[in-house]
Order: sequence, then structure tokens, then C-alpha cells
Amino acid sequence: MQLIAKNIVKDYPGCRALDDVSIALHSGRVYGLIGKNGSGKSTLVKLFAGVIRPTAGELYMDDQKLLFRDPNDAHEKGIVTVYQEMSLVPGLSVAENIFLNRMPKKNGRINWRAAYKEAKDLLKTMGVEIDPREPVSTLSMWQRQIVEITKAMSFHPKVLLLDEPTSALAQNEVRNLLEFVKSLKDRDIVIIYITHKLQELHIVADEVAVLRDGHFIGKASMDEIDHKGIVNMMFGEVSIRSRPKDIAVRAETVLRVNHLSRPPHYNDVSFALRKGEVLGIAGMLGAGRTELLRGIFGADPFSAGSIELNGHVLTRTNPAKMIAQGIGLTPEDRKNEGLIAIHSIKDNLCYASMRQTVIGGILEDKPKRSRLAEKQVKELQILIPGMDAPCSSLSGGNQQKVVVGNWLNTQPEIMFYDEPSRGIDVNAKQQIFEIMWAQARKGISTLFVSSELEELLEVCHRILIMKEGAVVGQVNPDVCTINELYSCCMSGVIPHSITFAESGAEDIGKE
Amino acid sequence: MARNKWKRMLLDHIIELLLLLIIIALWAAKPSFMTLQNWLNIFKSVALKGVIACGMTMVIISGQIDLSIGSVVAISGVVTSYICDILPRATGMGLTAACIIGIIAAALLAIAIGVFHGFAQQKFGMPSFIVTLSTQLFLYGLAGIICNGFPITNKLPGWFNLIGTGRLGVVPVPAIILIIVFLICLFFMNYTHIGRSIYAVGGNQEAARLSGINVTRTKIFCFAATALLATLGGFMNSAQVLSASFSFGKGWETDVISSVVIGGTSMTGGIGKIRGTLLGIVFLGVIINGMTLLDVSVYMQYIIRGVLLFSSVLLSIFLPKLKQKLL
Repeated sequence: MQLIAKNIVKDYPGCRALDDVSIALHSGRVYGLIGKNGSGKSTLVKLFAGVIRPTAGELYMDDQKLLFRDPNDAHEKGIVTVYQEMSLVPGLSVAENIFLNRMPKKNGRINWRAAYKEAKDLLKTMGVEIDPREPVSTLSMWQRQIVEITKAMSFHPKVLLLDEPTSALAQNEVRNLLEFVKSLKDRDIVIIYITHKLQELHIVADEVAVLRDGHFIGKASMDEIDHKGIVNMMFGEVSIRSRPKDIAVRAETVLRVNHLSRPPHYNDVSFALRKGEVLGIAGMLGAGRTELLRGIFGADPFSAGSIELNGHVLTRTNPAKMIAQGIGLTPEDRKNEGLIAIHSIKDNLCYASMRQTVIGGILEDKPKRSRLAEKQVKELQILIPGMDAPCSSLSGGNQQKVVVGNWLNTQPEIMFYDEPSRGIDVNAKQQIFEIMWAQARKGISTLFVSSELEELLEVCHRILIMKEGAVVGQVNPDVCTINELYSCCMSGVIPHSITFAESGAEDIGKE
Repeated sequence: MARNKWKRMLLDHIIELLLLLIIIALWAAKPSFMTLQNWLNIFKSVALKGVIACGMTMVIISGQIDLSIGSVVAISGVVTSYICDILPRATGMGLTAACIIGIIAAALLAIAIGVFHGFAQQKFGMPSFIVTLSTQLFLYGLAGIICNGFPITNKLPGWFNLIGTGRLGVVPVPAIILIIVFLICLFFMNYTHIGRSIYAVGGNQEAARLSGINVTRTKIFCFAATALLATLGGFMNSAQVLSASFSFGKGWETDVISSVVIGGTSMTGGIGKIRGTLLGIVFLGVIINGMTLLDVSVYMQYIIRGVLLFSSVLLSIFLPKLKQKLL
């Protein structure tokens, strides 16, 4: 059996997510599908799963053309997807979860005996020992994932799509799941395994298919290609623009983080940030970057360690306290944490600076609020229909600028940016970086978390590498290529040649 | 284009139009409806729920709900009347002094209730609908124990009763109190730091917290303000009927929430106006008054109130969608 995509094009307003993608996948093999953020791999998966339809091009199963009305239709035609957010109901038993909405019945009542027996048989053919009567909530994460896959297999699929199935698993659980996925190969199905973890591909996949910027770059047998080869296919030739040379890091240290811990998210993290420095934090998804930023900012509590700021040593923080100390944070999830989307642009530009627009502790200084809002709209070149329009009416890039403007109005000394370029267009991205540089020239220090490695290389003076909750080292972006940076993030090993070493380095890790 | 603009105007003022139609219909059916005396009556009777609705607007904008207000109405009257009854007899204290102590006691109790609501909701993550429903039962029970199951009648001093029955010229005092409360709330919501915080917390609690807004304090403010205003409503109620009982205020939350929602406040939080609530109160007053004038039976009144609550929330869900379509 073969699953074939022919000349697939998918357009979204303002961007082409997939451009002329043709690929043939054979049953009995596991295909790793990889690509960096925005490469189009999730779009391709959605097409296979019937969630979206192609703008042009066709899908075939052998010679039969596939046209899906909706995800259910795709499911019925034998394409079953296991998503990374698990769809199990924790309070129900394993058997109930497998047969959700189709429990075996006898005389109109649920036949529990048959349900448990069928579930047990099914689990046995999968080669796993899980009691079908057990509630799912008592299972470990990898067992849950296996129940999920067993459920998918009970529909006798022809194509099984696994979307980052290990993202919620602990390190030791991953191996178990990968072995399980490998054992499915004997069946006559196409298995597509989507991941960003290259090391998993070497265990589980037969072939790797790479997408980049909406194009299908190629397939390669896992026996014939190494990490470096795959990384080269993922990134291609990337020209990294360099930051303006006139942004100088001052000697003075403005923020020092000492042995900060919040297991299991991050552990014993220490580093120092200098005045005017743009410090990047790189790492794979789940390395603890966002959690670290939120911990320092006081959005979530940390369990051990301290933060040194303006001569104070802080062991407990909260956002109000950190704002008073001159720190601002643009959160990762702009819509749910950064903005009050139903409120006006003016209000959203003034929330963080509310303490500064108050007269006598009670009254609002309305003229000052207007001035602050107008200042940011002008300086950040935010395109708005009007000050009183709701933020939800803006494009992603302009929304992000409102979030940044909200914080710049607090006149921060240190800004934290968490994935500021997510979901915004290239132009807006560049403008956000220009803002970061302009602030750095004024002596404002920046912590910058991004999953886009080329951004970090372009923007930062120095990049910390995080892996599994620990800072494993730091890289000098001026001598580092994107492929090297990617390898560092994955392996946690930083070659001496790209390690950042200057007078600042000895500060790291000191009390 | 011009047509859309016209449609938008219509949607923006649909409640005003509806109210106007109802007024005209009532006028046609009962000419006595359109007299100064009747309109003053409408304001007098609706003022009690009206002051509470001003507080409820804050609570709902902050993304919460308060179902305990009826029981606060009951207990505030009972506590004050009880103290006015007991203290002079036990200590020989004057009635005026006892009444002032009673008022202060009821107000402190209200603040305690508000703090409890805000704290329990935020710190334990309990839905405010359950927290305030629990307090409702608790307070009705407590009020019943204090008054021993019987109404406490005629214990309040004459000057206290003025806040329920007095008039300034022709205008009933409760109506004046409503206007004052309305202006204070209007000021708070539109011109102060705390008002801005209430909108922010209701609009997106996490974003508000990350912007350094004290979410717990904001919620406590809303709940405490509402309990205090319910206490004021309870005072006016006791003053009007010269009595206090644990059964007062039962079911008021329905009318209060209806008038807030009719006024355009969104049940999902973050959006709403005190100005709209005043309109909602008048709307409610006209409907209740109209039902009385037309001799609608008590049971039918229940049905109409139920329909009113349902349709006002339904309208508040669909109106913004309709408006968006026209944009």
C-alpha cells in the first residue's frame, strides 16, 4: 500500500504553507517527518488527517484518490492520527477509553465483560500488559500513550500519524514507546512519525522526510544519513544577518541568577546579565526556557536559589515586585497571557505601567495614559485603526508590538522576551528586533528566548544553551553556525571552538 | 454602507428602544402608568435592587458572580434591628447610639463576607457561584437564628426609617441614594486605578497578573463593595417595611443579575458599563411596575422574570456577534 501526495499546495492568507509537495510513503515502514518551526510539517499532517484541504494537488491511497470532507471522513478512510495532546479521559478505564462511543452492547446495555475481553485481546496483540479495568489516570505517561495508539490501531488504520508522541514523556519512558512503535511495523500500515528530536529517529524510523519553508527537500534512509546530514537538509544554506555593531555591552552586571531551581522544569541555573546585553536562551522544546523566564519574573514560584537585582537578593518574587524593580516580560502565549484582547489598544498599552499613571493612589491620570499610549504607537510604528479599537482587531505583529509597548511604558531596565516572533510576519519580526536593539543602545538589558535559532544568532551578544532544565554552556553567536547551534541544543555538548569566552564568563556560576 | 450604520445604531440602542416600546404599550394600556407619582414609585421600589446591581456589575465585570446578596439583605436588617432591640434594654444605651453600632456591625460583617468570597475564590480556585451560594445558605440560617425565626418589627429609630420612606421634596430618599451610589460606582469604574484593574482581571486574569495587578485584592474589592451595597439595600428594605426578617431578600439575585445583563455587561467578564446597569434597573422597574398595574398573577410574574433573565443573557451573547458581522 502506498500513500501518495501529488503537487500539494496550501495557501493561507498572506503565506504559502506548502509549495508543490510530492511524496510517496510505503506501508510497513516508519517515516520520520521533520522540519524546523514553520517548515509546513504540521500543515502536511493536517492535510493527511482531513483537518484542512489543499489549495491545489491531490492525495492518493494506491490509485484511489482521497478527498476528505472532515477529520471523521479521513478517519473512516483509514487515516488515524494520534495527537500530542492526549485525547484520553483520565477517569475512565482503559477499555472504556479504547471503545469510547462504541462500547460493545448486549440487549441495549453495555456488555462490560465483552468490553474488557476485547480490550485485553487488543492490548495483547500489541504486546503490552495493561489491565483494561485500570483507570487511565493511574497509568504512567508512556502507558497512556500506548493505550492511545492501541485505540488508534483498533480502527484498523492504513495510515497511522503520530504527532510528537514523546513530547509529554520522561526520558526513560521514551525508549519503551519507541520500541512499541517499531513493533507496529510488521503490520501493513504507513506510520508517519512527526518529531523534532533527531535522536529518536535513529531508533524508530526507517526513512526520514524533510520539509523546509513549505518545500519537500527529500527523503533519506536512516542507515545512510547522520545527524549532520539531516540538520543540513533541515536548514539548508542560511544567511544570518548580523546585529548592528554599535550595541556595546557594558561592564556592569544588572541581573544575577544564582542556583535557581524549580524541578522538574529547571535545576540549579546560574548566569549573569550585563547592562545593554542581549542574552539569548536556546534549547529544545521542554528544555525549561519559558519556565526559567517566568520563574525569574515571578510569574511562577521557584523552589530554591536567588536572584540578585539592583543590590537586592531576592528569594521570592512576584510580577508586581519585579515590575517595580524594572523588569518586563512579553509572555510566550501572546493571546492568553500578554494581551487582554477584548480591551482597547490604549488600555493594553497602559496596563503594566498602571502604577505610574495614578494620582494619589486612587485617581487615574487619563491624559498621561493617552500620552504613554500614543508615544508607543508612534515609536514602535504600530498600525492601528484607532486607540479605542479592541486589540483582537490587530494583526499578530501589531499585537506583539502592543505587548512590547505595554512593557516599554514601564521604563524597564531589563526586558524578557519569550518567543516574540511567534506567529508574526517577517517584517514585523525584523521590527521587533530593531526595537530590542534600540533599547539595548539605551542600556536596557535583554533576555531573549526563541525556538528560531537563526533569530538568536542574529540578535544576541551571547547565547545560553539549556538542556533538560540545566544551562549546559554558552555559545558565541559570532563564530557559531546554525547547524552547530542546533547540535548543541540537541546533544548538550558545546565544542570549545564556539564557546563564549570573555571576561564575562568567569562571572557565571559564582555566588 | 449607510444602511449598515443605521443597523449598528439600532443594535447599539436596542435596549433603549425596547424600553421605549414597553413604556408606550403600558401607557396605552394603563394611562395611570404615565404619571409622575407612578414614576417616582418605580424608582423608589427599584432603588433597593438598584444599589446592589451597581456592585454586582463590578463583580460580573471582574469575571465572577455573587449569589449571596439576598441573604446579605436579610442579615443586615436582622443584625441592625436585633442590636437596636437588645442593646438599649441590656445597657440602657440610647436608641440612636445602638442603631449606629448596629449599622457598623452590619457593615463590618459585609466586608468580612466580601473578603471571604474573594479569598476563597482566588486562593482555593473555587467557582464564585458555589462560594457565594454556600454563604447564601449560611447567612439565611444565621439570620434565622438571630431573629429566632420571627420578624423583628418596629425596633429601628424613626430617623433610620427615613432612608426607606422619606422624601426630599417629591423625590423618594431611596431614589436619591440610588443616584448617589450610581455616581460613586461610575466614578470608581471610569476614573480610578481599581476600576481599571477590575476590567483587566475580568478581561484576562493571567495577563492582568503578569502586568503586576493584584488579582486577589481586586476581587475582594468587588465582593466587599457588593456585600456593602447589599447591606445598604437591606437597610432601605427594613426601613420601608419597618421590620427585619431572615426571609427578606429571597430571590433578589435574579432581578439584580437580570438588570446588570440587560445593561450590556458580559457574563464572561471584562466588558460592561455601570451606565448600562442604570438602564437595566429602570427596565426592570418598569416591567415589575407594569405587571402590578396590569394585575399579573404572582406565578405569571415568576415566569416573566425567568424569561427576562434568560433572554437578557441570550441577547448579551448574540448582540456582540451581530455587531461584529456589521463591522
